[in-house]
Amino acid sequence: MTKILIVDDDDLFRTMLVEMVRREGYEVSAVSNGKEALEHIEHDRPQLIITDILMPEMDGIELIMEQNRRGNTIPVIAISGGRRAISLEFNLESAELMGVRATLPKPFTREQLRSAITEALQ
Amino acid sequence: MPEPKAPQHTGELGQRYTELLHRAVFAKNPLVSEAALAEAADLGRTLIARAVPLEEVGELHHEALIQLAHDHPDLPLSQVAGQITAPLMEAYMAYSLAFREQLERRAEAIVNARLEQSRRLEAIGTLAAGIAHDFNNILGAILGFSELLGDELPADSAGRHHLAYIQQASFRARDLIARMLTFARAMADTPSAVELVSLTEETFKLLRVSLPATIQLAFAPPNRDAWVLAEPSQLQQIVMNLCINAADAIGDQPGSIQVAIQPIATAAGAMIRLRVEDDGEGMNDETLERVFDPFFTTKAPGKGSGLGLSVVHGLVTKLQGTIEVESTLGSGTRFLIDLPRLSHPDTTAPPTATGEAP
Repeated sequence: MTKILIVDDDDLFRTMLVEMVRREGYEVSAVSNGKEALEHIEHDRPQLIITDILMPEMDGIELIMEQNRRGNTIPVIAISGGRRAISLEFNLESAELMGVRATLPKPFTREQLRSAITEALQ
Repeated sequence: MPEPKAPQHTGELGQRYTELLHRAVFAKNPLVSEAALAEAADLGRTLIARAVPLEEVGELHHEALIQLAHDHPDLPLSQVAGQITAPLMEAYMAYSLAFREQLERRAEAIVNARLEQSRRLEAIGTLAAGIAHDFNNILGAILGFSELLGDELPADSAGRHHLAYIQQASFRARDLIARMLTFARAMADTPSAVELVSLTEETFKLLRVSLPATIQLAFAPPNRDAWVLAEPSQLQQIVMNLCINAADAIGDQPGSIQVAIQPIATAAGAMIRLRVEDDGEGMNDETLERVFDPFFTTKAPGKGSGLGLSVVHGLVTKLQGTIEVESTLGSGTRFLIDLPRLSHPDTTAPPTATGEAP
């Protein structure tokens, strides 16, 4: 079964997303920041990572950078509730520029999630 | 408008001025002559303080001289010039000074008002973005759980219809947040007079916490007089990206990033020059040529995305500035950015400030 790792610090949203992805027929693990994700990837390599961008400890962009640095090529879908305002915060645009397979602004529908996963796993 | 304590209007003051010049020229006692000239100069200052334009004061002086020549056709002009020209030149300079001080005070008040306003707008933008972020997460959970709940309900049941309404309402809320954010952004994105030295100091606070401790950030702030017309976030991105790029070039070794800001004069006019220099690995000619390409990067995987410089290039061009880069392999890289200088922030910036000083 295809393994997907979900990385998000929002408990409520993460709980929902885990269930939604599981119902699509994938094996799902979940952690709440980039640091935990790196530890998780060390011992259990997923085929796809769905990560939030703004998180404490280590954010999604740092996670992607660290993955690249380690030469890991696991495809990534970036999700975020944040939009560019005027600050220098990272956002979906930054993730896109870093070469993630797909981006999804929150809130998204099940259908949008489904096609992003299919696209990312191709 | 005439004030009750100073009933004379400009015409009367002009008459008095003529008398004083007259006395200065014909007084037997040089002390009397000096006193008359000093009073004439004070009169000029009084006029300036009453916001009479400098040209009008100059005109008054001119008329007084004509009157003098008319009343005394035999007056030797060289003698008059020797007696009053030098002191009056000084007086004129005193008027100009008073006038300039008044203008400067006024400009400063306008700039301060504008700075205060852009700070407020930035705070609104940050707040709006924070709310939007949290709200979108909450909506994501509501929308997602309602879709999941739908799995447990029979198709065409009343429950499924109710869920559809929940989803519809969630989308409406999402659009509302997007509009709020667009509005906040549009307000905050209005270009205004920004002082680059202060902004760089602010940006360094952010940089210091994110750069490795082995990298020294050197910036000797000059006078806070480097005004440019921009969105503060654009300038912050330029400074941030250049410094992060410099830090990447230095890597894990100890090194330093030197930043300097200075006004310069170029063929294109007065500019503010921002210089960011590192003692990192430098670039070869091939890399140097492609340094601003959006998707060009030298990254050994993970060592920065390489996007920063194309962003900087785009922003500088947008601000009608120029960017130059010099690099020597093994000894470092220097970026020079010239941005058009704002000499009078009150006249060049768009009329967003409410503080039109009197």
